[in-house]
This record gives sequence, structure tokens and C-alpha cells, in this order.
Amino acid sequence: MIKIENLSVAFDGTEVVKNVNLEIADGEILGVVGESGSGKSVTALTLMGLVSQEAVLTSGRVLYDDVVLAQAGIPRDKALYRTYQGSRMSMVFQEPMTSLNPTGRVGRQVEEMLRLHTTALTPEQRKARVLETFLSVGLKDAERVYDSYPHQLSGGMRQRVMIAMAIILHPGLVVADEPTTALDVSVQNQIIELLRQINKEQRNAMLFITHDLNLARRLCHRVAVMKDGRVVESGTVEEIFESPKEAYTKRLIEAVPSRAGKATKVRQENISIQGGKAQALGEQAVSENILEVKDLNVFYREGGNSLFSGKKKKLVVSEASFTMKRGETLGLVGESGCGKTSLSKAILGINRDIEGSVTHYSSYPQMIFQDPYSSLNPSKTIGWLLQEPLRALEHLDKSRKMTDKDREAAAFDMLHRVGLEDKYFDRRPSQLSGGQRQRISIGQALITRPGFVIADEPVSALDVTIQAQIMELMRSLQEEMKLSFLFISHDINVVYQMSDRIMVMREGRIVELGDTEEIFTNPKEAYTRQLLQES
Amino acid sequence: MMRKVKLPNIQKWNKYFTAGLIMTSVALFLAILGLFWTPYSTTAMSAAERFQAPSLMHPFGTDNFGRDIFSRVMKGMGTTIFISTLVVVCSGGAGILIGALTGYFGGIIDEVVMRITDAVNGFPSILLALVVISLMGSGRQNLIISLAIVFTPSFVRIVRSEFIRLRDADYIMRARLMGVGRVRILFVHILPNIFSTFWVSVMIGFNNAILAESGMSYLGIGVLPPDASLGKMLSDAQGYLMTAPWYALAPGLAIVWLVLGFSLLSEGMRRNP
Amino acid sequence: MKYLFKKLITLIMTLFLVSVAAFVAFQIIPGDVVTSILGTEATPEREEQLREELGLNDPPVKRYFNWVGDVIRGDLGVSYRYSKNMNEMMPVAELIGDKLPVTLWLAAIAVILIVVTAIPLGVFWAKSKSHALDACMGVLTQAAMAVPSFFLGIIVTYLFGIVFKLFSPGGYVSYRDNFPGFLGYLFFPALSVAIPKIAMTARFLRNSMLTEMKADYVRTAYSKGCSDRRVMYGHVLRNAMMPVITFLGMIIAEIVAGSIVVEQVFGLPGIGRLLISSISTRDFPVVEILILYITFVVIFVYFLVDILYRVIDPRISNR
Repeated sequence: MIKIENLSVAFDGTEVVKNVNLEIADGEILGVVGESGSGKSVTALTLMGLVSQEAVLTSGRVLYDDVVLAQAGIPRDKALYRTYQGSRMSMVFQEPMTSLNPTGRVGRQVEEMLRLHTTALTPEQRKARVLETFLSVGLKDAERVYDSYPHQLSGGMRQRVMIAMAIILHPGLVVADEPTTALDVSVQNQIIELLRQINKEQRNAMLFITHDLNLARRLCHRVAVMKDGRVVESGTVEEIFESPKEAYTKRLIEAVPSRAGKATKVRQENISIQGGKAQALGEQAVSENILEVKDLNVFYREGGNSLFSGKKKKLVVSEASFTMKRGETLGLVGESGCGKTSLSKAILGINRDIEGSVTHYSSYPQMIFQDPYSSLNPSKTIGWLLQEPLRALEHLDKSRKMTDKDREAAAFDMLHRVGLEDKYFDRRPSQLSGGQRQRISIGQALITRPGFVIADEPVSALDVTIQAQIMELMRSLQEEMKLSFLFISHDINVVYQMSDRIMVMREGRIVELGDTEEIFTNPKEAYTRQLLQES
Repeated sequence: MMRKVKLPNIQKWNKYFTAGLIMTSVALFLAILGLFWTPYSTTAMSAAERFQAPSLMHPFGTDNFGRDIFSRVMKGMGTTIFISTLVVVCSGGAGILIGALTGYFGGIIDEVVMRITDAVNGFPSILLALVVISLMGSGRQNLIISLAIVFTPSFVRIVRSEFIRLRDADYIMRARLMGVGRVRILFVHILPNIFSTFWVSVMIGFNNAILAESGMSYLGIGVLPPDASLGKMLSDAQGYLMTAPWYALAPGLAIVWLVLGFSLLSEGMRRNP
Repeated sequence: MKYLFKKLITLIMTLFLVSVAAFVAFQIIPGDVVTSILGTEATPEREEQLREELGLNDPPVKRYFNWVGDVIRGDLGVSYRYSKNMNEMMPVAELIGDKLPVTLWLAAIAVILIVVTAIPLGVFWAKSKSHALDACMGVLTQAAMAVPSFFLGIIVTYLFGIVFKLFSPGGYVSYRDNFPGFLGYLFFPALSVAIPKIAMTARFLRNSMLTEMKADYVRTAYSKGCSDRRVMYGHVLRNAMMPVITFLGMIIAEIVAGSIVVEQVFGLPGIGRLLISSISTRDFPVVEILILYITFVVIFVYFLVDILYRVIDPRISNR
């Protein structure tokens, strides 16, 4: 029904989509999987006639039921597209918050679809149809949702509204561009189920774009893998996942964190050796523990600094108690809002609104942040960034003073250790990719040999293949430098790969804590089981 | 491990930048030249030469005292540029200091500063400067001081909001974790990142200073004679609009040239990748 | 509602601060004013008598509250310089009351000109697909903003007054004598005030629209099959106008506060000229009240705009 033939799209002379061939049959769900920069979104937008004006079709064409909608060399036929957009093809975008007009009531925005394409309905009939569609996508309080503004609804509800908007006219094709990426795991699954249900009922063809292989596997009939603008491989879901042919496809599948087997940790020995070493050193009683947290309550004060802010204190973490041993990785899992970040800020002393005790047995613990784009100072060079922690340390601890040359050498050394060449020393963060920036982030955190590091979602913002590399880097550095990690993530599979023990948090409380294998095979709490099931 | 020192990239030249650069350079050149030499004396009066229309000898004509207008415009531009630069340097500097401290640390002082800047925000600068002058008296020095006082709040506003924005950025949190001292965080970590925004407001401030200074001189409360000023020339010229319109045209166009040139220059700089 | 209350408190607080500042500046600092009122030939008894009359011997705090009380009751003080007749000095209220309509009508005409011209201009510019037109508009607006208002006033005077003879420069027509003539004369100074502000507003609106046009929801609208026209007027314009309202508020406050310079250029007997003359003659009671008036107007306009914005923007009004 949909044919994309030999499509190439270029921006400013550079091709981002190269000779792409895709077909979607009536009622079929085609998944397009790829990492960032693979060209999947541009392909979809070109299909829909929504790609920006600067894009140039350098080859190929797009057909809908054998009607040519777009062709290389011919300027976009907007009038033709308008007869298709909305009524015969619709799109669901990634960010429902910004994809809906923030100043308009949601019901009216969906109703606009009807106003644009049907003439026979009265306003009451239109509203009724919208309410009906809301109910069918799982929005139970349809009347209230109709009158709401986007910011008054939750992320999941907003996405359902977008889906309602997309299906209300029963289009032959629905394109979904990463529709679940911005949502919590539990909501993600609901949305996927909803899409499947719609496909069954309305028999529309669907183009499902994602970077998450697992989702594609669950929802789609056929899958195409894209990389650097080309389709690397395509086939049915079974073909791709069980017998992938191309090397990249295999790599992609392998890089996804799963629970199949784990790299055995050599570190177990080190701990006891450490104990032995401690006796030998004898200077200070070197504790087996690197961190002890007892009865910790963390508060969050709303309203910021101003005089007028209410003294409302919200309890975001309650009665947290746990200890961490030297050299181990403790994983912390939970959904967004459960208090993981608040807990880490309290442990490091960033948030002082606490009750209870936090005892460190390491000096100057550090943190690795989630967003590689905001964790490096954009106005400084990489070399400066790597040296700054050392400079700061000198101020705090005069005994650690270094000469300029030594400091530079240490920075270069760390640069190599995180896997980057000399030439990056003088570059700025804007010139590095996300994965490279995260490596520098790690380097910055570790250059002072902190002993204890909190890693807050360090790989969540990265492509799957890069994720695997960074996780490997962290593991090897941990071994080399005998570090202890508190590894936070919402993705339980990632945590599984990295941790010795796991802590599960929910609504500010530690719900379960135990060895990784134990938790995965024999979860004690219902919530833990739920989390495991959903992934 | 030899490290090469990187030279700053020469910006991509575009039409705005070139046009602006030319205009500003011409103005600067004439202004600086005017400090030492003008084609004719700006003070010697000659009844015979009164009200001559623009000619080769006098490109802008002569005024009611027979003085060459072009020379007086040169001197006037010098005064205006000098005053505006000083105003911007002082208020910009004060703005950075106050804005950085209040934005980063907050607290009661921040509240007070915020109230003051909010209250002062809507006032046209001339009005405020008027008030200050009325208490201090006129003259070049007082003019600079009053305008600097008047312009500081808007710089504080901008710097403060940038510091508030960046205070909670991940990389600043990390700097705190590393143990970097507060002063260093303010001026080494955060400050370089607000530079582009700040620079834009400096340019706008400079233009506003030029307009404010000439406006006040026009009203008679700006610089006093013998200081030349474009604004004062305009007010003198107004009376002779019917007989010698070029007298008013010259200083007015000079102001427009200066402000427009600078605007184009900053627009050109802004458009650079 | 809580927000409204908070804002009202802030308004009053600011007014209070400014009144204290004005009081200190114009009644305490200048020192003994009786000499300047009566001249150097006055006798010490006469001076003392005047001091008693004016209440200058009371402690500052008492004086302040007396003064505030007077102002609230409508007694704005008495000028040091202007005399009403042989026996009395001119009350400030009368002095200002006479000149206020000029300034206010000037402001009104200017604001109308701005709104009527800048908005269509901004939309037209935002819609344009031609690079040449964009650049042209850009430079033109920059130039309009680069012209100081007094120079613009002079040009307007020359062009429309002397060359085209549409009005006679310096020939101010009082609103008491001939209201249409009054308005007609005010048109030209209003034009001089309006032109740079039209340029600024058009630029601002255009930028706001361009920013909105890049937003995600515009893409959604197109995906529904909306035409360019519908996207522009049904979606973008409404969202783009909101920051423009705040911007216009700023401009209105500025204009209403008194277009001092333009009044001078055209010889209009308005608040602005009064302010200048009273500053040069050190007529502090007048200056003080005028400063208060201007402060109040500016803060009040800002307050209104803030409230208006909160009502219009559903993101804030419907939490």
C-alpha cells in the first residue's frame, strides 16, 4: 500500500537518507529501527510530506496506493498532500507536550481534524465523535479531557490524545515516530498495546519508528534496520531477531542490555585482598564499607529561594538505610519520581535538607550525570575540563599539589584511559559526540581517584551500541581503579548488567535490596516483580 | 605532547558585518581625528561666513556663527562616543558584579535588588537620568555618572537571569562537587558562558547611551559648552530650520550613522555561526 | 487570586519606596527652601513664618506622613515658582491638570498608530518568503530605531510642516479652543514618537512568529492537513502575540510616562516640558509630584499587562 522507492534526501548537499526502499502492506505494522542519525525520522517525515523546506529529494519517490505523492526533481505538491494528510495518513510524534498547541483545549485540537476533512457533521456530532474516540484510546474521563489544556494532562494521557487525533478519521496509514520514548516504562507498554489494538480494529498500516529493539519486536510484523541513512536489513520479526544476517544488525541486537548471562566479576577477590592490605597499611582503619546510610529522610523545599516561597517541605525519600562495600557496584532502580536523584543528591551533600546520617569512607566522592550535553562546561576545552578537578583538589588538600606539567600529563593519561586520542585535548565539548562527551564526563569524575562514584543514568541518553561501550568502559575502569559505584537507572536490564547488588525504590522508599541474581530469579516484593515483568 | 595554541577563528564576513564595520570605523576615525585636528576651527566665529549651504569647502555648510559644521560634527561625535563608552563600561561592570552575586547566591539582597530593578525597569532612561541630574547638576562628569546609574539595572537584570539559569546546570553542580571555590565558579566557570548574551546587551546599551546622551544634550541638561555635542547642535539648529535646514541635518545624520552602523555591526556578529 | 494579591502588595510596596525616595530627595536633601522662595531680601521673621506655614520644622517622619496624607486627599502641594495670582502660588494639581490632557492624548494617538501599523507589518514580514524583502525590512527597521526621536521630530516638522505645509510648526492648538485642531496638531508629534516604536514592535512580533513557526505543534497542524493560512492565523499568531503584549505594555508605559523630548521639539505644553522646566528652576514640589505620577503610571501599566497576560495564557491561568 505504501511504497518508498529508492528514496534519497539531502540537506545542504549532504545526504541523510540514501536509496531507501520500504514497503508497507495494508494493515501491516512495519518497524524502522535505528540509532540517532540513521535517517529514520527524515524518511518518515518525507513520506508524510512534512519534512522541512530545506530538504531536497535527490532520488526516488513515495507512493500511496500507487499514487505518486512525492518524487525527486518535482517540487512538493502541497495541495495534493493536504488531501491525504489527516484523512488518509496521520502521524503521532515523540513529544506530546510540545506537539500539542499549549494554548488550546485538547478537545478542540482533535476536533479540528473533523472540521478540516468532513463537512456533514454538526458541532454536537463532532464533539460526540471526539469523545467516542477518546474513550476508545483509553481516556476514561473523556469530558474532562476534552476541556483540558495539554499541561493539565499526564504524559501518557497526552500521547493518547495524539493517538486519538491520528485515528479519528480511520486513516489508511499511521506513522508513529518514537511515540513512547518520553514516557515511563509502564505507560510505554500500555501505549504499545493500544497501538496494536488499533491496528487490529481499524486495519490501518503502521510505520513504527524506534531506537528500542525490544519494542519493535513486541509490536511489529516486519522490521527494517537503518544505519547512516541506509536500510541495512529488513524482514519479518522472526527473521531479524532470530537469524540476523548483517553484522550491524547483530551488533545492535547484542548491545541491548538483557538478562542473558553476565560478565563474571573478577573483583570479588579484590575485596578480601583489600581487607588484607588494610592490615598491612595500618595507618588508618580502612573500613570494608565505603558508604553507610542510616534512616535518611530527604526533603525538598518548593518555591526556591525567594522570600515569598512557602516553607512547604515535601518528603521525597523516607527511612533509607543501606551500606555499600568497597569495590562493589550497587544498582538503584525505580521509575521517574521515585526519589533516586534526590537520594543521590543527599548522599553527596548537594541537598542538605536531610535527617539521618550519611557516612563516607572515601574522599571527595564524585558524580556522573545523565545528560552528556549539559554536564560539560561548553566554554572550556577538554584538557581544561580534565585538569580542573585536580586544581580544585589542590585547593582543598594542600598535600595533593601538582606541577602544571604533572597535571597536564595526568589529564592526557585519563584522556587515553577513557579511550580518546590526544587530538581531543584542545577541542570543545560541542565538537564531540554524545558518547565521547560521556567518556570525558567519566574521566572528570575519576581523575581524582575518588573511591566512590554515583552514576545517575549515565547511559540512558545514548544510542544502544554506544551504551554498551560506555558500560564496558566503566567496568574496566572500576577494576583498574578499585572504585565503588552507585549505579542508577530506570532500565532494569542495564542495572542487571552492571551491578553486584540491586536496590529498588518506589515513592521515596527502598522497597527491596539484595544480590542481583537473587532479585532477578526470586523477587520478594510485588513491585519488583512488576518492574521485571514490564521489561 | 606539544600543544598548539589555537588562534580565534576569523568570523565569517557577511554583509551586515561589513556594512556595520565600515560605518563604525568611519565614525571612530573621524571622532579620534577630531581630538587633534579638524578642517576648521570649531570655535572661531565669522559673521561673513554665516549660513553657507553645503559646498566643497564646507561639506556640511556653516552655522549661525559661521563655524564649519563638519568640524563641529567631528568633535561632537567624539564627545558622544567617549561618554557612551564610559557609561557602558561602568554600568556593564557594575551589572556583572551585582548580577553575578545576586543571581548565584539569592537571598534577601537578591530580593531587594530585584525589586529595585523591576521598579526602575519601565522608565525611559532619559527620565531617570533627568532626576539624577536635577540633584547633582549638569556637566559631562555628572552626565556619565547619572547615565551609568540609570543603565546599571538593566545589565544587572540580564546578568542575574543568566546566572540563575546556569547556577543549576549539571556542569556547575559538578564544579561544586569537585570543591571549586565560589569565586572561581562565578567568574571562571559561569561567566564565560554568558558572554554572548551579555555582549548583545552591551551593544544595545551602547546605542541607548548614544541616544540618551544626545537627547539630554538636546534638552539642555547634557554636556555644557564648550563641550561640543550633537544633541546640542540639533537644538540650536531647530530655530533655523526654514533658512538653513542643513544645519539640523548634519548632526542628526551623524547620530543615525553612528547608531545604525553599530546596530548593523552587532547584527552581523550575531549572525555568525 | 493569591497571585493578584501578592502583586498588589508589591505594587504598593514599590510605590511606598519610591515615595520615600522622592520625599527624601526633594524635601529633605535640598535643605532650607524658604530662602529660595522668598529671595534674599526676606526678613528672618518672615522666613520663620513661612517655615511654620510649610511645616518645615517638624521631624522628617511626621512631615512624610503629612505629605502622603495630603497627596491622598488631593492636595498635591504648591509650586515654588508659578504664581496663580498676586497672593497665591499655583497649586501643583492645577498646574498638572492643565497639562496632563496634552500628554495623554499624545500617548493615545501614538499607541493607536503603533498597534494599527506594527501588527500587520510584523505579520506581513513574518510571512514573506523573499530573502531580499527580509533584508530590506530588517535594515529599514534598524534605521528607524537608530533615529533619535528629537531628530525624527525635526524631520517631521521640516517635511510635513515646512515642505508640505500640512501643519504649522510651533502653532500648538489648545484642546480648549479647537479639539479637532488639537488632535490634528498632535498627530505629527505622535508620529515622531510612534515610528521607532513601530519598528521595534514589528521586529519583535516577527521574531516571535518565526519562533512559533518552528514549534512542534505547527508540524502537527500541518500533519492534520491545515493550509499555510490556517496554521498562521489559527495557531501561530495567537501564541506569538502573547509576548508581544508584554512588549507593547513596556512601550505604552514609556509613552504615557511622557514623551519629554518630542514635547520639546513641537512646543507642546505637556507634562514632559513641565518636568524639564521645573527641574531647571528647582521647583521641587512639582518635580516630586511628577516623578510620583510617572512612577505610578509605569508600575500600574506593568501591573495591568502582567494580569492580562496571566488571564490570556492558559498555561498560567488554568493550573
